[in-house]
Amino acid sequence: MNATQTAPPGVEVATGTTDTAIEVTSLVKCYDGQRVVDDVSFSVRPGEIFGLLGANGAGKTTTVECLQGLRRPDSGRLRVLGLDPLTQRAPLRAVVGSQLQEAALPDRLRVGEAIALFAAGAGGSGGRARPGRREVAALLRPWGLHRHRRSSFADLSGGQRQRLFIALALLHRPQVLFLDELTQGLDPAARRDVWDVIRDVREAGTTVVMVSHLADEVEELCDRAAVLREGRVVHTGTPQELTRRFGGPTRITFTPPPGLDPARLRHLPGVRTVARCPQDPGALAVVGDAAMTPAVCAATITDGRGPSDLHVTHPRLHQAMLTLIGATS
Amino acid sequence: MRTAIPALVTTEIRLFLREPVSLVFVVAFPALVVLVMGGVFDPNDPTFAGVTPAAYYTAAYFAVVLAALGLIMLPAHLASYHQAGVLRRFHASHFPAWALPAAWAVVAVLMALVGFAVTLATAFLSYGVPAVQHPWATAGAIGLSTFMFINVGLFLGLVLPTSRAADAVGLTLFFPLFLLSGSGPPPAAMPEVMRTISDALPMTQSIRSIQSAWLGIGTVEPGGWVMLVTVSALALGGWLVMARRIADD
Repeated sequence: MNATQTAPPGVEVATGTTDTAIEVTSLVKCYDGQRVVDDVSFSVRPGEIFGLLGANGAGKTTTVECLQGLRRPDSGRLRVLGLDPLTQRAPLRAVVGSQLQEAALPDRLRVGEAIALFAAGAGGSGGRARPGRREVAALLRPWGLHRHRRSSFADLSGGQRQRLFIALALLHRPQVLFLDELTQGLDPAARRDVWDVIRDVREAGTTVVMVSHLADEVEELCDRAAVLREGRVVHTGTPQELTRRFGGPTRITFTPPPGLDPARLRHLPGVRTVARCPQDPGALAVVGDAAMTPAVCAATITDGRGPSDLHVTHPRLHQAMLTLIGATS
Repeated sequence: MRTAIPALVTTEIRLFLREPVSLVFVVAFPALVVLVMGGVFDPNDPTFAGVTPAAYYTAAYFAVVLAALGLIMLPAHLASYHQAGVLRRFHASHFPAWALPAAWAVVAVLMALVGFAVTLATAFLSYGVPAVQHPWATAGAIGLSTFMFINVGLFLGLVLPTSRAADAVGLTLFFPLFLLSGSGPPPAAMPEVMRTISDALPMTQSIRSIQSAWLGIGTVEPGGWVMLVTVSALALGGWLVMARRIADD
């Protein structure tokens, strides 16, 4: 990783004049007369991880493919680092990196060969020579792939493939990285590894746009996210905002100690309902705003002792997503 | 770009050498048929316009090598790349849409040279290599046929969505063309209807162009040349358009 980035002329000027990394205004894309992306607008700030969330078919992938110049929008205005993906594809490619959904490499291509080949490809616009063996190993080490330098693509596990794709996407040191369902089909440990990689990428100053339908992934990684439903943005905000507004109420369950009057709980600030817990008739379920939590918990303490089974369920982004995109997925 | 395309070509050649099974058909089939067809007929059979059957088929099987490449090997290979998303993967990086098909065109030319060499070696070891009457015209005819079949192969490979579809279409095209273009029964042995069909096939024109230059038998009508050039141009334009469409919709 000792080669220095040499961006083509014009790109620096373009990035220098924008304080948003990506600007999408009224994007429309139709397939067979159907509006798959229907008037989508959002913007991404430099250096943030921005998520596009939604059910399958909500238009997430189409949106990021338009941003990468891989699809032609029917209408709308797109700017990536000040560049138009449609007309300025070559300079755009020099500054963005892509990990595509449902893409592959030739089965027999080895990991080290893929790095060398794509580095040569990037060299066309970045002025970088084809890396030697030692440089390839150095490029693979951060991704834990240097020991698989001679493995064929077909023999890599799902997590290794995704890490290779990210390594390829980052070869030319892009300023914006597009990731599409990057942990799909990975086991939990492999997903953690990939998430760590993405955090490192952001630490290095790269703006990341990621498509996902997994709430925990977005919660874990994204600074902000746009939720798409049937081709439209239904909400944009931080995962915390989304969770607070749409994630449902806070719920506290416990077995009431003798002498606790449920009616007293009902008057605490933020409490909406107090009822018998459907799963456990011996327990109470208190539902309300997050702000009620300390008061309700305090009220459960009698004679210095509280219930041993007290459980607080916080609003979840997962629930917010179901609320926003409908339970159809 | 200066380093990208050569890198792509060398990588694809290396990948191909790592799994050379697809070359078996391109090399073994024409060689086998040269042996069989060259041996079954009486060497003095007048059906072959004054040359020996072995000479007739050796020249014809240069076109068969090319047909096997263009109708079977290339479509199957490119369609599998297309199906798996390899084309999109390369395009989303810094490779232009035409780069991977073009790299495969280079690989295919090298494979054709191997196929020609094996066909010649088989002829040399069995019935002898026929003398070349017009060397430049022979090279030109082989070159034009190579250009046509490779472009057809790239077009089929990018149009057909899956490698299964490519196999099915490729075999369906290959065998009738093989049988009707003069590489099976010679045209002189065909009934009138079959010969009319044969005349309308580009592969017939391809075989005839090679045989007339190499062996000095028969001629290609102007319509035949027009057919070869038209099919080549359409296939070339077709695959360039398809490559762009796969790259951006």
